[in-house]
Amino acid sequence: MLQDYLPIAVLLILSTGLSVLIVALGHLVGPRRPSARKSAPYESGMQPIGPGTRRMPVRFYLIAVLFILFDIEVVFFLPWAVTFRQLGIFGLIEMLIFIVVLLVGFAYAWKMGALEWE
Amino acid sequence: MEFFNSADLLHALPLIFLMSWATILLLVAAFARAASERIMPALAAAGLLLTGYFAARQFGNPASAFNGMFAADGFSAFITLLLVLSGLLAIALSSDYLKRMSLNRPEYYVLMLFSITGMMLMASAADLIVVFLALELLSIPLYVLAAFAQPEPRSEEAGLKYFLLGAFASGFLLFGIALVYGATATTSLTGIFIAAQSGLEQPLYLLIGAALILVGLAFKVAAVPFHMWTPDVYEGSPTSVTAFMAAGAKIGGFAALIRIFIVALPSISEQIVPVLWALTALTLIGGNLLAIAQNNVKRMLAYSSISHAGFLLMALVVYGQDAARFDVVASALFYLLAFIITSSGSWGVVIALEKQAGKGLEFSDYAGLGRTQPVLALAMAVFMLSFTGVPPTLGFAGKFYLFRAVLEGEYVGLAILGMLASLISAYYYLRLIVVMYMQTGNPKIHSERWLNLTTVGAAIGVVVLFFASEPLFDLAALALLHVN
Amino acid sequence: MDFLLQPLNLVIFFPLLGVLALLFLKERESLARWVSLITALITFGISLWVLGLFDAANPDLQLTVVRDWIQVAGWNIRYAVGVDGLSILLVLLTTFLTPIAILSTWRAVEDRVRDFQLFFLLLEVGMLGVFLAQELFLFYIFWEFTLVPMYFLIGIWGGPKRMYAAIKFFLYTMAGSILMLLAILWLGINQGSFYLPDLIAIGGIPADIQYWLFIAFAAAFAIKVPMWPLHSWLPDAHVQAPTAGSVILAGVLLKMGTYGFLRFNLQLFPQTSVQLAPVMGVLAVIGIIYGAIVSYPQSDVKKLVAYSSISHLGFVVLGLFALNQQGISGAILQMVNHGISTGALFLIVGFIYERRHTREMDEFGGLWKVMPVYAVLTLIVALSSMGLPGLNGFVGEFTILLGAWGGGVANGPYGSYLFAGLAAVGVILAAVYMLFMFQKLFLGPVTNKKNEGLKDLSARELAILIPLLVLIFWIGLYPQPFFALIGPAVAKLTASFSGIAYLPIP
Repeated sequence: MLQDYLPIAVLLILSTGLSVLIVALGHLVGPRRPSARKSAPYESGMQPIGPGTRRMPVRFYLIAVLFILFDIEVVFFLPWAVTFRQLGIFGLIEMLIFIVVLLVGFAYAWKMGALEWE
Repeated sequence: MEFFNSADLLHALPLIFLMSWATILLLVAAFARAASERIMPALAAAGLLLTGYFAARQFGNPASAFNGMFAADGFSAFITLLLVLSGLLAIALSSDYLKRMSLNRPEYYVLMLFSITGMMLMASAADLIVVFLALELLSIPLYVLAAFAQPEPRSEEAGLKYFLLGAFASGFLLFGIALVYGATATTSLTGIFIAAQSGLEQPLYLLIGAALILVGLAFKVAAVPFHMWTPDVYEGSPTSVTAFMAAGAKIGGFAALIRIFIVALPSISEQIVPVLWALTALTLIGGNLLAIAQNNVKRMLAYSSISHAGFLLMALVVYGQDAARFDVVASALFYLLAFIITSSGSWGVVIALEKQAGKGLEFSDYAGLGRTQPVLALAMAVFMLSFTGVPPTLGFAGKFYLFRAVLEGEYVGLAILGMLASLISAYYYLRLIVVMYMQTGNPKIHSERWLNLTTVGAAIGVVVLFFASEPLFDLAALALLHVN
Repeated sequence: MDFLLQPLNLVIFFPLLGVLALLFLKERESLARWVSLITALITFGISLWVLGLFDAANPDLQLTVVRDWIQVAGWNIRYAVGVDGLSILLVLLTTFLTPIAILSTWRAVEDRVRDFQLFFLLLEVGMLGVFLAQELFLFYIFWEFTLVPMYFLIGIWGGPKRMYAAIKFFLYTMAGSILMLLAILWLGINQGSFYLPDLIAIGGIPADIQYWLFIAFAAAFAIKVPMWPLHSWLPDAHVQAPTAGSVILAGVLLKMGTYGFLRFNLQLFPQTSVQLAPVMGVLAVIGIIYGAIVSYPQSDVKKLVAYSSISHLGFVVLGLFALNQQGISGAILQMVNHGISTGALFLIVGFIYERRHTREMDEFGGLWKVMPVYAVLTLIVALSSMGLPGLNGFVGEFTILLGAWGGGVANGPYGSYLFAGLAAVGVILAAVYMLFMFQKLFLGPVTNKKNEGLKDLSARELAILIPLLVLIFWIGLYPQPFFALIGPAVAKLTASFSGIAYLPIP
């Protein structure tokens, strides 16, 4: 059974080997003349203003979490839609229950002010 | 293919009911916030009581539902009753404590109920996928509860630590499930059993998978060497959460362990039992030795709960023996019952003495309790003796039954090890009694109605139920696993 | 109700009534003493009633109460109590010593009097249960339960190192009893019953397993006795315990160990008992000599008495493993004797401690002049303890030596001479340390000024000692009624050894 994976293994070894080889060659053969300008974030552009990392309002995280939550859960509609005919009325009820549970969570989040910006 | 029949709903009624109840309570918490702060404990308790009622009706007619993914048998009914009991005790311990610590947010109870549904599902899961689902449902509310005292840094640390290590454990479990599926081409517990019976192409995968499942669940029940999170999480969480975690998470984890191993994996018992043996020995010795060194009562109880996981694992070691299998389940369940009552009671005493900001938890804070608070100190002494396994307490009956199961399986070495562990444990339990009765001090306690009721009730229960243990033995013996 | 009114249940559980009454007393300390004393006296009365009902000619268990207790899930646990010639004297000893010990606390215990009495009565329940239980599960419960009140008695009302002593006492005893618990479980699983007569009747335990079971039971009992080399908890517990605690500890609790050998090891494992008798004999003799030698240099009187207990109980074990009529009946009588004499010695030490708050021998001297009554009584008790003919100690020790000569212990490579000879040396050593102690305390001039004004014994203190002295003389001069109680049961027990040949251990 494991033989089936042999080509993948060969590919893996080849690609890893090749990339290592290329990087190593460039490292060994190429000349190195470092300067302050070269190691700047933008080698040939504007001067950076302020630090690179900035603080974000924590609200964004909450919104992001809520987005992921509802988004991922809505993804469950897709397999249901595909097998809608086979599942029939049972599937419909099942999905309605699912939506109700989702709505409860949504209602809770809304009521608790998770969607308000301030 | 039939996806569903209405009898399934009936079999899953306790679970469905509690889940819906918790969902409704969530809405109550959101839309009637002011009122819910007062009535939420009562509502949650009522829901649990009804769940217990539904579960009690399930004794005696085992069934499987949802295409064999869900088992409703004596075992799951008994576990549900245990969970209801521990939930009720936890609510009683929490209600005043939360107000005192200004943590009284109604979501607390909702999360607790959700976690209990996860634990119930653990006991009913007849399919590894459902086990995983249950584990997550059990754990996620607990992570939140552990961090419930935020912005208290210790509590936040507890929540985060528990979450990270819990997620790690889930990974082990999932990988184990994948390997078992790879070996047997099924995730159904009975399917795995049948596949293993009829011979496997890659028996090693099943073994590794089983071992990884064991690791994942050993994290949940805090067996050494997967116990590292326990003391920190137990110490950092609000004490009422710790009390709930110590009882509930253990019930859930052991319920799943027992069902998975007995239903699906008897064929590899020969290979896996040495692993279980070692895990048990490490847990017994490690938990107890580490507990000796503690000067904080909360941490001491955390390590003590690890060592009790070791005792429960002792029953599991015997699972491969056909003759003793019946006693494995019954004795483990009986021990769990004894542990829950004793543990909840002792956490009640801790809560009564706890002050703001994690103060009042050292051994020295208990000095003189025997003189100033004779009732509370006596209750604590009873709990400590019950933990040690000294008659006449329920803890002794639990150990007696457990050791019988172990001896029936002819693991004499393990039995002696367990006895030694009890002896070591006697040292630190007695130390608390020494401090309470034989040193002088003037501890202040919080006297709250439900808290006192729970503590004293548990102490009386520990003693009285020992003398009237026949019905409990009877009930534990009814908790048969339904193998289809 | 009918169940509780059975004579034996009444005797076991009556002290609980006192406990209940004490629970409702809040702060009335003097009343607590009276409640406890009266309870203990009534219990003694009930035990005398039991003695009246007891048929000495019958070697079997009498007045038995057998009830189903836990009969589900493959359990066969019963509640079973009964009394026979092996235990009747010990029951009486317990109920007799308890009121005496309680009376001795009148002045000695001033702190938390109610709790003290409460634990004391609980302890009595546990001890009586141990002597009367005929079912291993029940026996184990009582056996372990005695630990708890004793632990509190030592730990709360004891001397300066009381916490250390209490924990040591608890852990030591528990270490032995958990092994016994495993053996009990083995019997329950494989023999299908915990009821002692059933187990004796079923028998048939394979020899090699019998061997291990014997050791497991013996571990628990040897620690309790305590036999050398498991004795190191005893001096600590005794020295730290309050006087009443010491009296009960020496008088009754240690007997639980020797009684356990008698009731369980000898009855359940007769073959192994015969095979291991010489080994037990050697340990017993080592205990006799060791206890005596270590007693001698002690400067603390209480510690001296504590070590002398190791020596005396060595005699008891030697007598038990003689496995014949004289040896075992002598051992049973010696248990009672030791309870009386050593109990009296601890009381005597307690009296002087209450006056001077020290027990160092160097602090005393010439007390005879100051407290003549006290001195005479002490002399009698000391003589009884060292085995002077005419007093109780002699009867027991002499019967034991008779039994040991050619008894079960004399099988094996050591022969009779060794045991009898060494044990006799033990008697001589006992005379040495006892008389030495007496001399240091009572003879010579009054060297310490603090001792000059000491009062002689009060009426209460006399009332405590006199019953003990009466028994010392009674058993010493006319032991026949006591042997008559023991005899038939011992004869039945020794008959079970008759068919068993000693095989040298390879």
